[in-house]
Amino acid sequence: MSRIIPFIISAALLISSCRHGGNPPAAAHSPVDILNVSGRLKLEKVDGATRVTVTNPWQNSTGKELIWYLVPRDSAVPQDAGEDQIIRVPVSRVVCMSVTHIAMLRALDAGNVIVGISGSSLVYDSVIREGIRSGRIRDVGYEGNLNRELIISLNPDLLMAYGVADPSSGSTARLADAGVKVFYNADYLEEDPLARCEWLRLFGILTGKEQMADSIVSSVSETYGDLVALVRASPGRKPAVMLGSPWEDVWYISPGNSYIGRLIEDAGGHYIYSDMTRAHSVPLSVESVFRKAEDADIWINPGTADRLSDILSGDQRMASLRPFREGNVWNNRRRITADDGNDYWESAVVRPDLLLRDLVSIIRPELLPGHVQYYYRKLE
Amino acid sequence: MSAARTRIVLSLSGLALLMVLLFMADLLLGSTHLNFTDVIAALFGKGDPGNEIIVMQFRLPKAITAVLAGAAMSVSGLLMQTLFRNPLAGPDVLGVSSGAGLGVALTLLTLTPLFTLPAGSLLAGWGMILAAWAGAGAVMLIIMAVSARMRDIMTVLIVGLLLASAISAVVSLLQYFSNEAMLRTYVIWTMGNLGNISYPQIRALSLATAAGLIIAFIMVKPLNAMLMGETFSRTVGVKMQRTRIILLASASILAGSVTAFCGPLAFIGVAVPHIARLIFGTTDHRTLMPGVAVCGAVIMLLSDIISNAPGGGHIIPVNTVTSLVGIPVVLWIILGKTGLGRKF
Repeated sequence: MSRIIPFIISAALLISSCRHGGNPPAAAHSPVDILNVSGRLKLEKVDGATRVTVTNPWQNSTGKELIWYLVPRDSAVPQDAGEDQIIRVPVSRVVCMSVTHIAMLRALDAGNVIVGISGSSLVYDSVIREGIRSGRIRDVGYEGNLNRELIISLNPDLLMAYGVADPSSGSTARLADAGVKVFYNADYLEEDPLARCEWLRLFGILTGKEQMADSIVSSVSETYGDLVALVRASPGRKPAVMLGSPWEDVWYISPGNSYIGRLIEDAGGHYIYSDMTRAHSVPLSVESVFRKAEDADIWINPGTADRLSDILSGDQRMASLRPFREGNVWNNRRRITADDGNDYWESAVVRPDLLLRDLVSIIRPELLPGHVQYYYRKLE
Repeated sequence: MSAARTRIVLSLSGLALLMVLLFMADLLLGSTHLNFTDVIAALFGKGDPGNEIIVMQFRLPKAITAVLAGAAMSVSGLLMQTLFRNPLAGPDVLGVSSGAGLGVALTLLTLTPLFTLPAGSLLAGWGMILAAWAGAGAVMLIIMAVSARMRDIMTVLIVGLLLASAISAVVSLLQYFSNEAMLRTYVIWTMGNLGNISYPQIRALSLATAAGLIIAFIMVKPLNAMLMGETFSRTVGVKMQRTRIILLASASILAGSVTAFCGPLAFIGVAVPHIARLIFGTTDHRTLMPGVAVCGAVIMLLSDIISNAPGGGHIIPVNTVTSLVGIPVVLWIILGKTGLGRKF
């Protein structure tokens, strides 16, 4: 149901926006969507440009829409586009606030447009790290602690940001006042792994690599679909999967409808909190999670643990959990840098198929014999 | 037996009984449902092994920690209030809690643990506790050094407050340059927790608490003399400089150790001594010392029970519960007929 509502809202808004304002008839708005999985991103062709609508761009926003026009450098501007809604494409200078934005540009072999990033120490991609070391790519700081002068001096065509809450009073909003085009990307709010991957198409249009982006998205979703079909074709007992790790008294639980919750179900597992539906993670007492997880079969993503003993130094009681006793604990930390940059948070956004393959081989190993893990590692 | 004495004996035994009852209630109530017989069976190692883990590994250590932390923080607060003859003094005014916080912040927010301990060793899980202890200990040494040089106790108080502010500024700076995940981790620490303490850690906390409490109990007579003012204390033979240093050491050991294991449980140290004075109707430390300790344990147990109140596995951070329970009580005392000042 929660996925239908944004669709209804965007459909209603599309209809209403067509009715007033003397727009060309609906036929001129040809959607370029192939998958249309994303409930938050909509791309339409308008007079040779692309109209981008981001619905509910940050947490807890309802009915909020941000509209941009991506206009080729030599084309005329569509008549209903406001001056501050126009981004000329292809862009050649981009500041990325999230490693997922970096991953998308790199997947399109367009890492050269990145001139600034946020949190350089957490980047995994070696090419970008080299760019940081050589000084070609600058670290612009964190939201709340942005080096605004540096950003303005980088003269970006676009600052790809994300809003945790309404950013109208935040420092990125001040940048928009200063004339920087601040695009609020909502990829991290997408609960469907394929919808999250679909944001690659936005980057495709931004960098003039639309076809490349579309073909990556198609092939990823095809592979993903094949894996789901493989899992569904071989019914059996669904192993119970637990997730995350406690911190002191608290265990933040991702709800069943979350990104990782869906991946677990798609990989043929039963996520122990699958019946919990929320917009974000919920703090629960360690005691209640322990009770629920006691007899799980598999434990994935236990925080930053690289060995079983790391889990115990956080909380010794975890030794009594069944996955721990049986050594069936896996973490997403196969590809990390010395500074703790983790490719799981980076490239997996573009490659949910690789992620799902790893999870299928963990949850239903009999379906993928001989699979070599890409993101995951079994804890010893 | 005089009326006042009867009141003291009755209040103390009443509070002790309440503490035992709340201790049992804390074992019985939690996020998962267990009935009385389940808990009893688990305590004696009989019955369902799952229940046994919940009771023996989760609830019992938490309840013991609540008793220790409540007693230690409250007695530490009492010592501070008498030492500085200030009703608003608490364990945190000397910067001991801030010092512990700095140790934790350096460990959590800079990704360079002060104490990197080999995983799987005896000391695994102690890194942050040692960092907090080191921070609290460093501040304590500075305060004691100042106290040894200065005759005026108010100077010591001001140095403590300045030190606490300076440390908070450093912690803010570290927070400012940290990312969201690290910030959340630190914020959870500042909310206090009683639940993730292993038995070896409880043993260490018990030893520290016992040491601090024994010193405090020995110092009961000089503390009573201090209530009459420094001049009086000197005339009855109290060596002020030495007494102060001993009291500061005791208060810091108590507050620093609790903060190291449970995070900053600040408010309880300010509030409980006032509540105890009200219950016992006396400022005599011979009564107040055990009274404050038991009262602190009762309030901490109560706070822990309330922190589970939302049900369904949801919990409220215990520090917020303590403040929300304690603040109305203190307000009631301040606004009430007796007032705070006349109790000193």
